[in-house]
Amino acid sequence: MIPLYLAASSLVNGCGAGWREIGDALLQGRSGLRRNDFEPAQELDTWIGRVEGVEDVSLPDRYAGFDCRANRLILMALEQDGFAQAVHALRARVGAERIGVFLGTSTSGILDTELQARAAQRSGRAPHWPDDFYAQRHSMFAGVRFVREYLALRGPAFTVSTACSSSAKVFGAAARAIATGLCDAAVVGGADSLALSTLHGFRALELLSREPCRPCAVDRSGISIGEAAGFALLVREPRGAVSVRGCGESADAWHMSSPHPDGAGAAAAMRASLEGAALTPDDIDYVNLHGTATPANDSAEDRAVTATLPHRPACSSTKGWTGHALGAAGITEALITAFALEQQWRPGTLNCDAVDPTLAMRVETRSQPARLRHAMSNSFGFGGNNCCLLMSVGHE
Amino acid sequence: MSATAALAIESVGVCAPGLPTWSSAATVLADRAPFVPAAMAAPVNAALPPTERRRANGTTRWALAAAGEAIQDLAPQAIAGLATVFASGDGDGEVLSTVLRDLAAEKVALSPTTFHNSVYNAPAGYWSIASRALAASTTICADAATFAAGLLEAAAQVAASAAPVLLVAYDLPFPNNAPIATRVRTPFACALRLAPAGRASPPLGRIQDMHIAGGPCPALRSDLEVTFTYNAAARALALLAAIARGEQAGVALPYHDGHHLAFAWTPGA
Repeated sequence: MIPLYLAASSLVNGCGAGWREIGDALLQGRSGLRRNDFEPAQELDTWIGRVEGVEDVSLPDRYAGFDCRANRLILMALEQDGFAQAVHALRARVGAERIGVFLGTSTSGILDTELQARAAQRSGRAPHWPDDFYAQRHSMFAGVRFVREYLALRGPAFTVSTACSSSAKVFGAAARAIATGLCDAAVVGGADSLALSTLHGFRALELLSREPCRPCAVDRSGISIGEAAGFALLVREPRGAVSVRGCGESADAWHMSSPHPDGAGAAAAMRASLEGAALTPDDIDYVNLHGTATPANDSAEDRAVTATLPHRPACSSTKGWTGHALGAAGITEALITAFALEQQWRPGTLNCDAVDPTLAMRVETRSQPARLRHAMSNSFGFGGNNCCLLMSVGHE
Repeated sequence: MSATAALAIESVGVCAPGLPTWSSAATVLADRAPFVPAAMAAPVNAALPPTERRRANGTTRWALAAAGEAIQDLAPQAIAGLATVFASGDGDGEVLSTVLRDLAAEKVALSPTTFHNSVYNAPAGYWSIASRALAASTTICADAATFAAGLLEAAAQVAASAAPVLLVAYDLPFPNNAPIATRVRTPFACALRLAPAGRASPPLGRIQDMHIAGGPCPALRSDLEVTFTYNAAARALALLAAIARGEQAGVALPYHDGHHLAFAWTPGA
């Protein structure tokens, strides 16, 4: 694929808002997970990556119809690190029609739908939906609609919703749109807020840990759900140190909610990202694992990584910091991978004290400085949907 | 916006009341038979393994029926390697209703099947299982612009891979008693197999000069518009009608900001 440079980026998650807070949390090994204090689902015994201060965010009056937890996360991220200003500057240069918006989400603003439907059902009244509630909050497209209006962009746009690979796959969508001339640049990323359906759904599947998640640990016991939003401004010219060189996509054809045990689909996505970047396995210095901390997921990913990268590069999962941000996991971990490449620093696997000895890949538990040139970020979702991003630092 | 390279359409599948298969839909869309949108039960997907067939949700059933028709001339190996773009404006209202009711109960009890069926890419996941499809698969939403956005993404994938891509678009009415409503009245699903122009197998025709143009789209033929009003996937009928008539035509599909996606349709190779 055509290399695309990250000219600007921004994110919010359980570790904080913006690069200063989140960068510090990463470098200092400070987890963003906390015992569940999310009021609408407080009965669940679990740990979550809740973003501090979402409740206090207010959208400017003209965007009042968009007000929901997911769009508040989006606004928080857009206003960090000069991201909106960077988009405005590019828009002034190339035109609003030439900047696409491709965002991933698994649940969009469903939390607000859930809470209003619950309040109505419990009170025996029919729910009342404000005008445009569906388009501005409920719809999978609501976040893209909000971002396009907030940033005054009019280029090509859609939402990718493929569960936990959603906001990784948007890099591929943006690369294709730019390659075919539909636009010159793109805002990519995504958001997912905490929601009743995902918290209760993963509990129903018995995949929700009662402790902070411990990816790749011998005693791992499931996921911790986090909420997050993140954005990258992708351009063709070398602006910024980090570029996306490959976006490998594949399907498992196996099961709706379990990965293929051999990791065959995941391996295919990893190989496709190498092909897209015209690199060989030996070129990969680091893999940011999907690493959700369920027993089956980490084992399947181990098979995929081992089969694809026999030279055993360093691997780690950063979900001990952020929790599993589901539809926002792809952008969250792509940006952490970009941070690692920029800082020449490799994150360890927070909360993993004893690596599962049955895993053959080289799981690093401790963070440390490292020489990194090319790195991968894996994201795998329900429906057997896989994506692997390949990112590089430096210009060539 | 600029154009993508010429794009062939190799096959079509349709599943909707009054348009139950492509061959019957083609006669209706070419004005050679009346459009009679009699109520239709959700299709049964014989290609799914029994467990998945039992669990599959409504959007999956309609989407897989249309997709199945569009690949019936392909060998299993070709199907396994066929990339897919699934596009839906609203997703599955039936599963959403179940989720919202289960979460509203005094004691929350969400079933694992309901939860995994609630992901927007559930039809794509079932399709992958049914057809052993291992290639890239995406699922997108762009509200009223969903079909045009899906076609653009599928065209861009064909351009990037120089290989065929199956575009599947589907939208269904939400149940009458759903906690949240849409204005979709009638189910519609279609599938188009897109490929680079100039492949060996003779296509139905070619799409050329795709571009975004100012101004809104003309409505569909009035009887189709009334039946499929607000159905984002059914905006495909503007293209399907051009294919059915077998004549050169300009096609317009709703896009964002009051604009439309325009292109020329030329039948034959």
